[in-house]
Amino acid sequence: MRPQHWLYILPLRLRSLFLRGKVEQEMNEELQYHLDAKIAEGIASGLSPREARHRAMRAMEGLEQRKEDIRDTLRIHWMTDFVDDVRYAIRSLGHAPGLTLLVVMTLALGIGMTSATFSMVDAQIFRPYPVPHPGNVVTLVSTTHDSSYDNFSYREYRDIRDKTNSYDGVIAYKDMEAVGFIAESAATPKIKGGMLVSGNYFAVLGVEPRMGRGFREDEDKVPGRDPVAILGPEFWKHEFASDPGVVGKTIHLNGTNFTVIGVAPETFTGLQIFDHPDLYIPLAMARTFSTNHAVDFFEDREDRELNVKGRLSAGTTVQHASSELAALAKSLENEYSKVNRDRGAAVHTQFEMRTRGDDQNWKFAVIFVVLSLAVLLVACTNVAGLLLSRARARTREIAIRLAIGAGRFRLIRLLLTESMILASFGGMAGIAIGYGIVEWFHSYQSLIFMTDLPSSMPFHIDTRALLVSVALSALSAFLCGLAPALQSTKPDLTNGLKSADVDMPGRKKLWGRNLLVVAQVAASLMLLTAAFLMVRGFRDSALAGAGFEKDHLLMTSFDPRLLQYSPAQTKQFYQLLAERVRSAPGVQAATLTQNIPLGLDGFDSVAFVPEGFQMPRERENFVSTMDTVDEGYFQTIGIPILQGRSFLKSDTEESPRVVVVNSHFAAHYWPGANAVGQHIRLNSRDGALIEIVGVAKTIAYQNAGERPVDFVYMPLAQHSIPRMVLMLRSAGDPLQLVQPVKEVVRTVDASMPMLDTRAYGEFYRNWVIEAPRVAMKFVAGMGVIGLLIAIAGLYGLMAYNVSRRTREIGIRMALGAARSDVLRLVMGKGVLLVGTGTVVGLAMGLSLEQLMNSMLFNAGSVDILAYVVVVPSLFIVTLLAAYVPARRASRIAPTQALRYE
Amino acid sequence: MSKPSDLVQGTLDLLLLKIVALQPMNGWAISQRLKQMSSDVLQVSDGSLYPALHKLEQEGWITAEWKASENNRRAKFYSLTRLGRKHLEKEAANWDRLSAAISHVVRMEEA
Repeated sequence: MRPQHWLYILPLRLRSLFLRGKVEQEMNEELQYHLDAKIAEGIASGLSPREARHRAMRAMEGLEQRKEDIRDTLRIHWMTDFVDDVRYAIRSLGHAPGLTLLVVMTLALGIGMTSATFSMVDAQIFRPYPVPHPGNVVTLVSTTHDSSYDNFSYREYRDIRDKTNSYDGVIAYKDMEAVGFIAESAATPKIKGGMLVSGNYFAVLGVEPRMGRGFREDEDKVPGRDPVAILGPEFWKHEFASDPGVVGKTIHLNGTNFTVIGVAPETFTGLQIFDHPDLYIPLAMARTFSTNHAVDFFEDREDRELNVKGRLSAGTTVQHASSELAALAKSLENEYSKVNRDRGAAVHTQFEMRTRGDDQNWKFAVIFVVLSLAVLLVACTNVAGLLLSRARARTREIAIRLAIGAGRFRLIRLLLTESMILASFGGMAGIAIGYGIVEWFHSYQSLIFMTDLPSSMPFHIDTRALLVSVALSALSAFLCGLAPALQSTKPDLTNGLKSADVDMPGRKKLWGRNLLVVAQVAASLMLLTAAFLMVRGFRDSALAGAGFEKDHLLMTSFDPRLLQYSPAQTKQFYQLLAERVRSAPGVQAATLTQNIPLGLDGFDSVAFVPEGFQMPRERENFVSTMDTVDEGYFQTIGIPILQGRSFLKSDTEESPRVVVVNSHFAAHYWPGANAVGQHIRLNSRDGALIEIVGVAKTIAYQNAGERPVDFVYMPLAQHSIPRMVLMLRSAGDPLQLVQPVKEVVRTVDASMPMLDTRAYGEFYRNWVIEAPRVAMKFVAGMGVIGLLIAIAGLYGLMAYNVSRRTREIGIRMALGAARSDVLRLVMGKGVLLVGTGTVVGLAMGLSLEQLMNSMLFNAGSVDILAYVVVVPSLFIVTLLAAYVPARRASRIAPTQALRYE
Repeated sequence: MSKPSDLVQGTLDLLLLKIVALQPMNGWAISQRLKQMSSDVLQVSDGSLYPALHKLEQEGWITAEWKASENNRRAKFYSLTRLGRKHLEKEAANWDRLSAAISHVVRMEEA
């Protein structure tokens, strides 16, 4: 039909739909007019009024049928039937408010948890880059033996950009880093998140600045020539109060003047999941932000700090781009055999990058979603069970409907409408619950991101999550409504009409219902096992402790690069600072370290060749994590030196190079021998020779509860680092040291900012203990909710079974069965079902544990305790749920039971 | 002759549209006019008239309005819409072609 036709008849349909009473009345009036005219005509032709009336009615051939014919022409039956169904369903649900509430709550919990967890998985895996045509933006990675996702150096990026044909453009950017920002001079710097990007970054991504312009290609040509910056949308809003005149203004970044040339649009929050940069700066300005004066970012092929992404040109496949890049990597390996040895390259889609094997966050999120879906599944099974017990009470009503000619499909539709209404209410409440869960997570945001940088959790109940909730509601309506609807509309009229209590069935008929109970017990057992495993996994890592003394420590960071110190100035600053702070009041010990243990920043790594160790043929060197510390470190932190010595004041730039390694490192490369006095060479076989002077106790470095790893300490005097953390030990509250330290810093350089000043113990509690506990609470909560749902469902089904057998029980008791006999009869069934469910759930739990172990905990073995605790408690609780109805059954008075129906 | 089974299918629509095209009319008047115009040959039963009218109304070919009739009672008057007029023209043309063809076949001399 043509559109204008629809425009015309749509009001007619709407009128028929919403003004049904009026339409009906008009129809009656019209027909009455006709009849009256016909009667008048009959009387005029000499008939008696009675005869005339009969004739008129006869001519109409059945007035009511005609009305029905006319109603048919209105073509709204499907709608009016639906409205009728809804009305009927609401009325009949209103008769069982308790049941309705139980069902709605059950579904709401399942849907709410699933939509909340989906929003996490969505943010971490599925949500596309906030750029036009995000699908053809791919990530280019360098690959080695140790990492499948390595970055590229600047020279490598230029090679890729110039020598590949698969892309419309190839961009590069460094990770977001701290930048000292001053809007007006004279103020102390604030720490902001800056990101160095290639000149074509915005152009290739297709991001149009909301004001000003993007970078020009030539602004990224000459190192240090063009100090220009583009502001992130949030930064512009908060730091510049959305000033429309910001373009052209001068800002100070790390002591250098930059000109603001544009502001990124609201929609572009960056390509990273958690980081949302405040500032974008061309790569050519890298030296202003360099963390390492020893390497030349623009020339050193080994300085691999760049994330590289490309926009595939039309018609190019990822496979093609990947093989092209692999070929390029091969030729680079030939050309630069030393720095590119065994180095390959690959191209990955966004999805592949987001689900990379060495990242744990998304795996947690996926586990959460799987658990939530399991809860939803239990909820649906429950609701199906409860609806079944309702449908049973209506067997007779339905049989009558079928007998007087209702179509089976029509009845199924009616029953599905009912479950659809339940699911819509459940869905609405579920969205509220999901929103609450996400908000609850957000309330821990500051705990999880303890940084001055603009990082945040991008989890929201947004349109995508809402759509998923709606889809889940519809799905659960179908899941929990269909089985009862099919079952209760089985065209088995004779039995249905005989009595409401007819299904005294063969074993076959009860199969499905027993299966429901078993599935519930099994599913909730699996859920609980998973929850318990996670709780234990988290607790283990939290209890493992750090392996050093973490109380009475104050930490504060310095970054002289923010003031554009030269390496010599930096060295002098730290020397003076350490010297003076040690004599400050209240300071028992002080040390400078590049990173704190278990901190937010990853440790650097060092490549080395251990002397006298048989290197595997295919390896050039080994890699270990490392820290750079001064001579006070081990004493201040409280890490025991097991063999040899700590660093000394006499280890200077001029003296022979020395390192301290941890005991794991020592046992790794010199098993059974004393590592002190052994040597390692830096980078390769012919690298600088360094003596091992001490072996320190192995502690946890990156994660509490991590497996022991190799670790190397270098002395600050021989390995200068610009950004250092000052750690101070106090007798009492470490925060009392803040003021004295401030005084000392002022005497060295009044304009030097102190960053992230915190008590280490407080930091440790927040980051190492409290943050995982949030996740733990979440899973444990899910497990408990799952158990509650399962208990409700089991109770419902047992009660159903009992009510179904009321008559049978009455007869048994009339014939002399004792209460205990009845109790045993009913409970026997419950025990059998719960037992079967437990066995199935145990099998499911075991395979889930293997999955979780392989993904997260690396425990490898079966956690016996989990089952010793979970299985009996589940067994007892579920049997209680069966006991209550069983007890009720045993109290049935025979007289009453036999009168039943 | 109680059922309109003699009417070729779809013809009733055509007749109703044509009658209403002449002037707006209520259901009773339409049934009278139908009898009168076809000299009682085409009799549409009262029972099938109204569903047919309502169908045309829902298709958007005719539209209804409540007005006072000759005897001063409120009655539902149907009139042709623009869409209905187009439809009528098309159907009328179809009818002409069809009836001409059928006449042609019926009048063929038996060889």
